Amino acid sequence: MTGLAARITAEGARLAAACTACGACVTACPMTPFAPGVDAAEPRVAAGGMRALLLGEGGVAAEAVAWIAACTRSAQCNAACPEALDVALMMRFAGMRARGATGEAPRYATRPDPGWSSRVKAFARVTLTEEEQAAWL
Amino acid sequence: MAVTVHPAPDRAVFWFGCNLVRHGEVIRASARLLEAVGVAAEPAGGPANCCGATQEASARITEGMGRRTVEGFNARLAGAEHGQVITWCPSCHMNMQDVMAPATPTNFETAHITEVLHARQDRLRTLLVRPVPARVLLHRHLGFQPRVPVNSLVADLLRLIPGLTLVDDPLAVPGHMCSSLSGVPGALAAAQRATLDAVAAGGADTLATIFHSCHRESVALERGCPRLRVANWIHLLAESAGWPAEDGYKAIRNAEDPRAALGEAGMAAAGEAVFERLMEPELRKAPVV
Repeated sequence: MTGLAARITAEGARLAAACTACGACVTACPMTPFAPGVDAAEPRVAAGGMRALLLGEGGVAAEAVAWIAACTRSAQCNAACPEALDVALMMRFAGMRARGATGEAPRYATRPDPGWSSRVKAFARVTLTEEEQAAWL
Repeated sequence: MAVTVHPAPDRAVFWFGCNLVRHGEVIRASARLLEAVGVAAEPAGGPANCCGATQEASARITEGMGRRTVEGFNARLAGAEHGQVITWCPSCHMNMQDVMAPATPTNFETAHITEVLHARQDRLRTLLVRPVPARVLLHRHLGFQPRVPVNSLVADLLRLIPGLTLVDDPLAVPGHMCSSLSGVPGALAAAQRATLDAVAAGGADTLATIFHSCHRESVALERGCPRLRVANWIHLLAESAGWPAEDGYKAIRNAEDPRAALGEAGMAAAGEAVFERLMEPELRKAPVV
């Protein structure tokens, strides 16, 4: 494993090793109402599952996967962490791993948008002059 | 919150990201504002300058796209004593710091456009001479703010506009911009309902968006609120400067018939099949509330 995949794995594991899974990040997260099962569980369940995922351990709780999938990068977790960890970056790396970015089996489905590039270019043709398109895109 | 004041670059790129191309007038006005405060920045964006955030299910693809973009900026800014990439999109900005720059060495620093304009607000103030009589609720998100305090920076910039009043409301919705919320069932609608409640409570007649995806999602709110104007903060600054910056996206997004609103020339530029398959579903989408 090289490059970004290696960094996600190594840096994620380094941060996770310092995480105590206390759950303060989960408590501070404004997205838990949109993550099935998370509010009903102890905060440490989702936090511990996120840590386990980054450490490459088995037994990642469904609540953790739901929490990771609902992350919208609100970053309230960082200020709440008593260990002063970059939890938002942990969640980002956890999300990438959970989506299969490092070669593991995806833990939740993503919504691919195969028309994204074509859509962007189509809007550009409408809103930008040909000169602007040539110079800026 | 402390604001990072970046030294003036001798060369700069205005990296506007991908999806801001829907708002060409915002790109033009942003570049003009930067130039007016003494920062000439060449605009760059679109898929050829993608940060890779759209492909996060594959580290290999994300890394490759990010590397291509960094190498492009390195080439554009080669030889600069103090090169700067000025970002618009919070996803691009965070991706540069978290993923791109750690993987591919850069010969530039990264600053957000709000930081650059805020640091030079004395020069901006002299441009903003036309009153914009509006009572404005600023659409704020929780995310990105800890990294770049955009909510307070944009508020300060809007306060430079004569005639404009900012509603004092503590609402900041989750996420770093509305596109992140749109992927989580129920989240965007909840945020939009809270925003409309704050508009009503504060007696606002204008909702000012900060980011493009928020603007894209919010302009349709005008359909159900005839007395509400949705404008991006750049639109408001441009209006006060007396510069043309008509919201072209809103015009077609809120039209009864987007095809007619686009017109023959617009349809020819977009392409019939592409319009029907990729643009029309977005333009006809009902407001999410």
